[in-house]
Amino acid sequence: MVLPFTFLFFASAFRGRVIAAFLLIYIAAAHSNVSALTPEEITTIRAYEKVAPSVVNITTHVCEAEFFFCAVPSIIGSGSGVVLKENGLIMTNSHVVAEARNIRVTTSDGRRLEARVISVDPDDDLALMKVDVGDKPLKAIVLGDSDTLRVGQRVLAVGNPFGLGQTLTSGIISMTGRTIKDQGRVFQNLIQTDAPINPGNSGGALINLDGELVGLCTAILSPTGSSIRIGFALPAARIKAAVPELMHPWHRIAGWVLAILLAVWVFRRIYRRQGRQYDEQTRDS
Amino acid sequence: MCLGLVSRFTIRILGLAFLMFFLAHIPSAFALTEEENNNIDLYQRLAPGVVNITSTIIEHDFFLNVIPRKGTGSGSVIDSRGYILTNNHVIGDGKLEVTLANGKKYTARLIGTDPDTDLAVVKIDAPKETLAVIPMGDSASLKVGQKAIAIGNPFGLGQTLTTGVVSSVGRTMRAENGTLVEDIIQTDASINPGNSGGPLIDSSGNLIGIATAIFSPTGASVGIGFAIPVNTAKRIVDELIAKGYYSYPFLGATLMNLFPDIAEALRLPVRMGAMVIETTPGGPADQGGLKGGNRKAQIGNNVVIVGGDVILSVNDVQVKDADGAIREIRKLHPGDKIQLGIVRWDGTSEKLTVTLGEKPRSVKSRQPKTGER
Repeated sequence: MVLPFTFLFFASAFRGRVIAAFLLIYIAAAHSNVSALTPEEITTIRAYEKVAPSVVNITTHVCEAEFFFCAVPSIIGSGSGVVLKENGLIMTNSHVVAEARNIRVTTSDGRRLEARVISVDPDDDLALMKVDVGDKPLKAIVLGDSDTLRVGQRVLAVGNPFGLGQTLTSGIISMTGRTIKDQGRVFQNLIQTDAPINPGNSGGALINLDGELVGLCTAILSPTGSSIRIGFALPAARIKAAVPELMHPWHRIAGWVLAILLAVWVFRRIYRRQGRQYDEQTRDS
Repeated sequence: MCLGLVSRFTIRILGLAFLMFFLAHIPSAFALTEEENNNIDLYQRLAPGVVNITSTIIEHDFFLNVIPRKGTGSGSVIDSRGYILTNNHVIGDGKLEVTLANGKKYTARLIGTDPDTDLAVVKIDAPKETLAVIPMGDSASLKVGQKAIAIGNPFGLGQTLTTGVVSSVGRTMRAENGTLVEDIIQTDASINPGNSGGPLIDSSGNLIGIATAIFSPTGASVGIGFAIPVNTAKRIVDELIAKGYYSYPFLGATLMNLFPDIAEALRLPVRMGAMVIETTPGGPADQGGLKGGNRKAQIGNNVVIVGGDVILSVNDVQVKDADGAIREIRKLHPGDKIQLGIVRWDGTSEKLTVTLGEKPRSVKSRQPKTGER
């Protein structure tokens, strides 16, 4: 098949022109700058493409009581979340889902799923949700190491600012180990970044150039309410530590119950002994 | 012996010279990263192609004193003859003054505007050698994460370079007259008022977009900027230079999105499509037999003009809503014949052939949701 074709090709009267055309195309391709990307860009593109399916957009509807106490389900909030497990376990900020009645998750492939909050940890501003993924599992994010982060290292934020849809922003780590106070709560050991983080980025991913999650975008410092390039993220180490507790919230309850039982038992023993001593003393006298 | 000494001496001198050469040159070569060198190279190469545009409108106050009001924007040189691409909203109605990167000022002439894509072309008579032409790239092959560089004139400060990445592609935006502009590029390179009309450039120095809008509650950059893709500009620029305007195809029908609940209430056999509200008398749609609505109906909280046809396909391409139909028609040219697949008010489906006209230049869309073509 190939042989006759090549023969025909070389025998044809146009071969000179064809070869010249191919040469021209080759030269044009070699000299065109259209698809030339720098190594830095290729790294960024790869990191984004790796995590893009693991970041979801969250839309919340809050029921508000109006003046006559009729429920008005109007207020719509937006946030982001990261997929922790393929079966639809999603981590976000607790302030994203706080007081929300109806939580809808939009995956990067365009599916809209109803989410159910499993547990909330307001102290760490973390919340765990579950969506029913059906037969199409989501892609889980890879948790990276947030302890080896260095100031000046490049990071990327993926989220849903102002509900616009999935957005990538880039910046560097401005500082690690920040402590901020917000409404009486203290958040310790946060990562500070200059990648633009806006309302709606909350719960979104802060990733390194390997496409690993190093932080969860949580707060910003701003006089205007929108990004002035001072954003804060919860380190991935905190997320790793919080996941088992959030997945099995009854463990904590069980722990408290056990502690109370133990305390009751100890106090009873002490008082019983004291009571016995008292009884013995009174009997002696 | 003596010769040997000399040669050894020469070798030492040479060695020392080499050492000094390396000591002198290695640090400067390695002091900047590849990324920084790329930015610097692009700026030096393309800055002469970015201009500041000042539009001055003369206004009169209550006592008829003259008050010149200035607006600033940016533009990119796209042709060595002095054609400059910018935003329509930068131009305004005023006197245009263009300042080149070397500080020289020229009075600019308006060549053409296209309010539908918010683009405009102006011309200055500057010598060829003072202008650097910014080559047009391809915005269809953009990838999220690649570098995006904006050069412009934020707040009228003068030429400014900001860098970032492509945050997202394929966003949609409404131009000032309500027309949908598609394939918008989103970037986190700082874009501020005054950057409008300036170029967004990739790492190879090609124009990929025209910085046009920002999303911001404060009015200044919050890391969310939008640029009109260069492929849109490429499509219309030649015609703008030649004619002063871009002739869009014109159907002569006002369309509305048909939502499932409206379709259900009207007992139409379809769920999605573009419903015809009215047709321009004597227009292409009217001549082709397309029928507009003739009565009002209240559905839910909305008053809808019903009785018109519903467009389901344009040239056998399915359309889901008004924007979809407009998108398909926009790909064609005035004079083209199109085949519309429609459903009549009584439920019968039909195929109509309509010859597209040329859009009258004063026609503006009345509502964001309703496109008039």
